[in-house]
Amino acid sequence: MKKITKEDIEKVDPSKKDLGKNWIKVGMSTCGVAAGADEVYAALIDEAKKRNIEIDIRKCGCQGACSVEPLVEVNVEGLPKVLYGRVTKDVAVTILERHVRNKKLLHDYIFEIN
Amino acid sequence: MYKMIEAKINGITVEVKEGTTVMEAAKKVQIKIPTLCKHPDLPPSAACGLCIVKVKGSNKMLRACCTPLEDKMEITTNDPDIVEVRKTVLELIISNHPNDCLKCGRNGNCELQSMAADFGIREDVFGKFLRDIPIDSSTGTVVLEPSKCILCGRCIEVCQNMQDVWALSFLERGLDTRISPAGDIKLSESPCVKCGQCSAHCPTGAIFEKDDTQLVWDALKNQDKYCVIQIAPAVRVAIGEAFGATGKNLTKKLYALFRRMGFKAVFDTNFGADVTIMEEASEFVERFVHKKSELPLITSCCPAWVDFMEKFHSDMINHFSTCKSPHEIVGTLSKTYYAEKAGVDPSKIYMASVMPCTAKKYEITRSDEMFASGYQDIDVAITTRELARMIKQAGIDFMNLPDEEADSLLGDYTGAGVIFGATGGVMEAALRTAYNLVTKKELEDVNFVNTRGLEFIKEAEIDIEGTKVKIAVAHGLSHVEEVLERVRQAKKEGKEVPYHFIEVMACPGGCVGGGGQPYNVTDSLRLKRASAIYQDDKEKTVRCSHNNVYVKKLYKDFLGKPLGEKSHKLCHTEYKARPIYVR
Amino acid sequence: MEKKIIYIRDTDSAQKERINDYFTLFSNELRDANLLEQVQLVKVADIGLYEKGVAVKIIPENIVYSGIKTTDVKEIVEETIRGGKIIKDLLCGKKSKQLRAVLKNCGYIDPESLEDYIAAGGYKALVKVLTEMKPEAVVEELKKSGLRGRGGAGYPTWMKWNFARGMNSPEKYVICNGDEGDPGAYMDRSVLEGDPHSVLEGMIIAGYTIGSTKGYFYIRAEYPLAVERVQKAIDQATSAGLLGNNILGSNFNFELEIRLGAGAFVCGEETSLIASIEGKRGTPHPRPPYPSVKGLWGKPTIINNVETLANIPLLIAGGGTKFASVGTEKSKGTKVFALTGKVKNSGLVEVPMGITLREIVYDIGGGIINNRDIKAIQTGGPSGGVIPQEFLDTPVDYENLGKLGSIMGSGGMIAIDDTDCLVDLAKFYLEFCVDESCGKCAPCRLGGYQLLQILKKISGGNGELEDLNRLKKISYAMQKASLCGLGQSASNPVFSTIRYFEEEYKRHIVDKKCPAGKCKALISFKVISEKCKKCGLCMKNCPANAITGSREAGYIVDSQKCIKCGVCFDVCKFKAVMKE
Repeated sequence: MKKITKEDIEKVDPSKKDLGKNWIKVGMSTCGVAAGADEVYAALIDEAKKRNIEIDIRKCGCQGACSVEPLVEVNVEGLPKVLYGRVTKDVAVTILERHVRNKKLLHDYIFEIN
Repeated sequence: MYKMIEAKINGITVEVKEGTTVMEAAKKVQIKIPTLCKHPDLPPSAACGLCIVKVKGSNKMLRACCTPLEDKMEITTNDPDIVEVRKTVLELIISNHPNDCLKCGRNGNCELQSMAADFGIREDVFGKFLRDIPIDSSTGTVVLEPSKCILCGRCIEVCQNMQDVWALSFLERGLDTRISPAGDIKLSESPCVKCGQCSAHCPTGAIFEKDDTQLVWDALKNQDKYCVIQIAPAVRVAIGEAFGATGKNLTKKLYALFRRMGFKAVFDTNFGADVTIMEEASEFVERFVHKKSELPLITSCCPAWVDFMEKFHSDMINHFSTCKSPHEIVGTLSKTYYAEKAGVDPSKIYMASVMPCTAKKYEITRSDEMFASGYQDIDVAITTRELARMIKQAGIDFMNLPDEEADSLLGDYTGAGVIFGATGGVMEAALRTAYNLVTKKELEDVNFVNTRGLEFIKEAEIDIEGTKVKIAVAHGLSHVEEVLERVRQAKKEGKEVPYHFIEVMACPGGCVGGGGQPYNVTDSLRLKRASAIYQDDKEKTVRCSHNNVYVKKLYKDFLGKPLGEKSHKLCHTEYKARPIYVR
Repeated sequence: MEKKIIYIRDTDSAQKERINDYFTLFSNELRDANLLEQVQLVKVADIGLYEKGVAVKIIPENIVYSGIKTTDVKEIVEETIRGGKIIKDLLCGKKSKQLRAVLKNCGYIDPESLEDYIAAGGYKALVKVLTEMKPEAVVEELKKSGLRGRGGAGYPTWMKWNFARGMNSPEKYVICNGDEGDPGAYMDRSVLEGDPHSVLEGMIIAGYTIGSTKGYFYIRAEYPLAVERVQKAIDQATSAGLLGNNILGSNFNFELEIRLGAGAFVCGEETSLIASIEGKRGTPHPRPPYPSVKGLWGKPTIINNVETLANIPLLIAGGGTKFASVGTEKSKGTKVFALTGKVKNSGLVEVPMGITLREIVYDIGGGIINNRDIKAIQTGGPSGGVIPQEFLDTPVDYENLGKLGSIMGSGGMIAIDDTDCLVDLAKFYLEFCVDESCGKCAPCRLGGYQLLQILKKISGGNGELEDLNRLKKISYAMQKASLCGLGQSASNPVFSTIRYFEEEYKRHIVDKKCPAGKCKALISFKVISEKCKKCGLCMKNCPANAITGSREAGYIVDSQKCIKCGVCFDVCKFKAVMKE
């Protein structure tokens, strides 16, 4: 890894932090992993590739709502940011197809919307 | 320069050095704070929770044993609230301790028992919770009874830090915490060197000397046996403590005692010490003057030290004096020289010894050389504490006995012989004779005061006719390493060794502070015992071993010359490296 | 008209069917208004608030209405959807009571990416410290902030750092205490797993401030993912030049190493933790000397909890004064809690100090499962106590919780309802403490055991009134005479449950009844013949063959054989099995 300089850090404006327009984040702390987030993450990566769906799939830490893990947060242009709870492998596939590709929300798994 | 602080304890102003604990400071103003874990020899372990006190401005209670007094502190060491908490803690400790007092080795001198008496404990307030942990008597010297342990941590502090042996440690945790050698092996398989310091510091009956008194009674009862006995130098100045007399030399009462108990002859280990000096000083001269083998010479009369060396410092075997301990020399001579002179069948002789030491129980069968007379040279070794019990059982008013003398053949001793009992004593005794061996002259002043006292490592340079003899004296096994490392370093670098002669005693203070001595030892008690020994030395007309008439007679009539063939056979031994852990 | 979405949710989980009624109502209204094409109607599991009743959120305006009635539906469709007007009476004015500061990156950035952390403003505080602040200035900022240790005791962080800074020693150490061990608490784990660099940054700043070049992460081995992420973070920081020599071109050197805890709760106590790092038996040592004077390897050492360290970058970046603007007079900033127990939405919450317990439980946690009554809140884990419901409006800070006989602790917070037995709760914590006592000192080792025996006796139906005095007596002695925090506080759960719920103890002791139905020895099952439909399900399911009878005669429970498993109670479809 290249050395980071003071300037590299100073020039960052966190308020402009841009995750891009289309992304999925999977909560991958112990609470998530214990509930099966590993599987969900892998399914998202595999299935997105298989189905030719272009979306940035990332890991993140605990979002707090540990009782409804695994949590998957989805941001797709044109739709609000949605946090899905109790996501399984199958739900993950549905998220890709329905939410990401067809821009429709999955009713039963929405935990929070912003 | 220390900073002084001023504080109030129970309203009494006390001024102490910064860093002084509340407990120490309280003691200065005659306030006693109860504890079961803090021992004056040892740093606080803060295990028992009895020494709690209140400090103004805090609603917590502090532990007096480990809390340094601070400037302007106002301490209360006693009020009904504190007493109540202490009593509860004590009741808790008792709930985990068997009510075995009547059958316990510490009955009458147990710290827990007397604390229970002080607090007026009359019932088991809480449900009894006893631990079923097997007794370990595998070493035949000290016995571990962990079910009586209150986990004060003294033995572990002693074993690991004071003695650097690391035989004992805490195992498990919480309620299952117990003292044991690491890995749950037997003590005999552990690095234990049998010094017995653990037993001397234990507040309860969890660690005690293996009781061999019955063997002595049985022998005395046996018409076939010709019982003889010897006492070590340190015993005579400590046995009085069991009868209310501190720092008193009771040699002559002991002689009288043994005859009344039925011993046919009474010998003195001090005589053996004089013989040891003849041999050891000669060894030193061989090495120092005639360069027959390497310097330094290291003393070997302490069996715990010998065991420690064989386990941890076996590279030093060549430096070890091969001379047996005084105790063993008297043993072997009793079944050869004495038997011959007195016309007694040596197979009938039963040799008992009274030692300040638990390791002596191990020494009597340590190696084949301990059977040099053709029999086991010493049949039984008991400690000062065991002797005290025997005296009481015998119903003898010990303190009021008339004085008697020992049987001269193996009983007459010099000032050099008796100082073996204190740290530095062997060194001093050896130097007195070595001086004579080298110069053929007598010393004008036989006192080598540099070797005396409780400093853990003492160094001195002695001038023998213009040649400097560099010596070191160490006591407390944790202080040995430093001395030996200096020797190793010099040898490695090809430099002249820093010392020519090294004395090591396993127990702090030397034998006066031995692991078999009466309980509650402190440095001030060690000094009192030692000063009684030095007083004995001072009062002796003969103060050098080579001038002991009976030693001379021994060599003339029996042994020949020091380091001669016969003395080699009877009075010397060998060493070997031993595994630290036996599997 | 812009396309809209209406999210609809019933926050009352007991009402399983009602949501569908509202869904239909809205659909009908929208159809009638001819708006179905423009509006998508969505049923959701949650919309981030926990009011009682039905709530809707209208996107993109982000309007939230709560507690709506069937009669409101028409108005919402007409006024807001079509007319674009806000109906003030229905508006849910409350915004989230949470304040995510320490957790701001958790769930936001990729914890395994240094770039992500930096992009979120990470390591700016370090740059600030290294370029423009002297160690004294850092301490000054900490002092201004009023930050207190988040590990439980709440010792002012600046004082700890200042002591260590003032020590003249060439070697000093910084330790991050990640030996989180309270049952049910996982705040530190989440921070270490979700935002490890923030803790690293805090440690580097600590090192710079006290003049240390070496730090240790002490993390319990049961947190393998945290260990993995922290190790990754250390590796990244090292190769990026944020750890090692001449950090960011300054002359400051600092390195970090992980040490694993071996599963002893007491190793979260700082002197035990130090012993553990040194390879010794993990038992506490008397203080003073405090670690900031004589700590690891005998050198001045500061030990801070994960959350405390994660606060450091925030505090430095934003300044101490800003940090101190949140919180109460003596407790500043935010606190992360692991909210669990009988609360609807359990999880990790971060709140400003001074928020009330009620707000945490009801506004954030959504209230109690099945809308039962809350009985108490347990804070501080095995070292804490219970706070009965009458004190729910107490603002949460170190002092207030202490006054109520509990502690802030590291952040465990358990909601207790009327189906929980407090004798049982005290027993649970005592069991934990007895198990985890290091065994070194008598009051804790034996006091804990004896307390547990008495509690077992009481819950077993053999209690006597005198036992209450015994419990108090032992608890007091443990508090006063134990050496370390674990022992001193191990009796807190007993002390505080007796303080507030002595009646419940007495019911166990005198009436031999467990009001919550938890203590097996004190409950019995009975078939109520009037309600029994004689289906025989209870008999069929009883694992102990304790239920006998027939379809004709009905069924009875043999209390001698009954193992109190409760299966009959659970399987009975007619509520004909009674538990008492």
